[in-house]
Amino acid sequence: MDQHLLESLAHAAGLQKALIEFPDDVAAAAAQALNNAGAVQVPTDPTAEPWPPMCPGIGL
Amino acid sequence: MTALHWLTAAEASRAFAAKTLSPVELVRALLARIDALDPKLHAFIRLDAQGAMDAARAAEAEISQGRIRGPLHGVPVGVKDIIDVATLPTTCHSQVLVNNVAKTDAVVIQKLRQAGAIIMGKLSTHEFAIGGPSFDLPFPPARNPWNPDYHPGGSSSGSGAGVCAGLFPVALGSDTGGSVRNPASACGIVGLKPTYGLVSRRGVFPLSFTLDHVGPLTRTVADNALMLDAIAGHDPADPGSKATQARYFGRTLDRGVRDLRIGFVRHFHETDMPAHPEVTAGLEDVARILQAEGAEVRTVTLPSLTEFSGINRVILCSEAWSIHAPWLRERPGEYGQLSRRRLLPGAFMTAGDYVGAQRRRLELIAAVEDTLRDFDVLLCASSMDPSSRMDDPEETARTYPRQARSPFNVTGHPALAMMAGLSSGGLPVSVQFVGRYFEDATVLRVAAAYERATPWHQKRPPIG
Repeated sequence: MDQHLLESLAHAAGLQKALIEFPDDVAAAAAQALNNAGAVQVPTDPTAEPWPPMCPGIGL
Repeated sequence: MTALHWLTAAEASRAFAAKTLSPVELVRALLARIDALDPKLHAFIRLDAQGAMDAARAAEAEISQGRIRGPLHGVPVGVKDIIDVATLPTTCHSQVLVNNVAKTDAVVIQKLRQAGAIIMGKLSTHEFAIGGPSFDLPFPPARNPWNPDYHPGGSSSGSGAGVCAGLFPVALGSDTGGSVRNPASACGIVGLKPTYGLVSRRGVFPLSFTLDHVGPLTRTVADNALMLDAIAGHDPADPGSKATQARYFGRTLDRGVRDLRIGFVRHFHETDMPAHPEVTAGLEDVARILQAEGAEVRTVTLPSLTEFSGINRVILCSEAWSIHAPWLRERPGEYGQLSRRRLLPGAFMTAGDYVGAQRRRLELIAAVEDTLRDFDVLLCASSMDPSSRMDDPEETARTYPRQARSPFNVTGHPALAMMAGLSSGGLPVSVQFVGRYFEDATVLRVAAAYERATPWHQKRPPIG
């Protein structure tokens, strides 16, 4: 990930301290997030619902 | 005669009822064993010897008066240190919560106390049930009783190591991506992730709300059913808890597998993540044995492990970030490096990533449900490799994600891991059985049939 973009995203997430103290961990986390999110085959059907569903009342 | 530390919960319970053993004698024997072995195993973060002895005396008094509460009355239990036990710290094995004393018992602890069980203390975990094994935390990591140079699995590592080493007969763990079943696999014991919603999570520090489960680790399948009987049940204050009639989980343990159809998910360990040859051989043996016991075993296909694990990670990281964000922003240095690296990705995931993963999740659930319409239970790998050395972080990083457990956190089906052999290096290899929602009893039934047909549950680690 581009260093400028990485720093902007980390700042937006409030990770200023982590960025200073643990820059390698922050960079590794950003790379991992990209990999993981990219591995998901999001349904192409726009009406596909998520799980767990919104249920009325409390509990399953 | 069986040494006291190798008694199962069921055996101890029978001995208490017959008055050939008392809970005080058993707890004393276990405390002596903990004193001898735990300095090298590090299963405990905090041993509550006084609390255990007090509870043992109370149990002894009740049992001697004939007031037996049930099969766990007087039975010692170890508790993963993310589960609240009133007056003891719940540290989550982390500097972040090192002084976090629980005010009340988690619901599972309340239930165990009602059943008369004795809480021995709090057990090692990967930090916050995700970051381990690590050496940069306030407590040392647990070690594998089969060989203390090796990883005991995690994140419920103290639960696995302690049950395996005979420090207590049964323990509680939690499972978000396989954390009950991984130590069960690495330590050669029995670990069950119950159906999502069957066991309350209230009072258990969360990692990922829609993936978290609490489950038992034991040396036998029968003990696992006893523990599940004690801890299962609807909790209206846990939004994930389901009101269900499922209970008496050991009722069919003796029934065998003659009328059951078992789907063998071979592609998990053959093509998705090719397993160590000794793991593959062990799984083929399991299939052969169950066939010989009368089950119909056929190969089935599910979505790929890569898909399941990607979805598990996106959901886990997103939900865990919502829990840990304030601490990761203010106190990142109080986390160990592994957990920091495993929790921070959530900061970089979008709402779209999270909801997209939850939408795909429903399709994967439908695929597994579709398969379970034709089969009573699925058989598949748990770990793809025997355990790795503690001093080899690269090998641990390579083998840790090579598993087939997280699919059933994504779907919520009940899943049990147990020993299926010993590798040439003297370490356990394992198998996993998966069942339909709330048919945890059927999973236990298949596991019990396999246990009866094999010698693995009688093997003991060479630790004395």
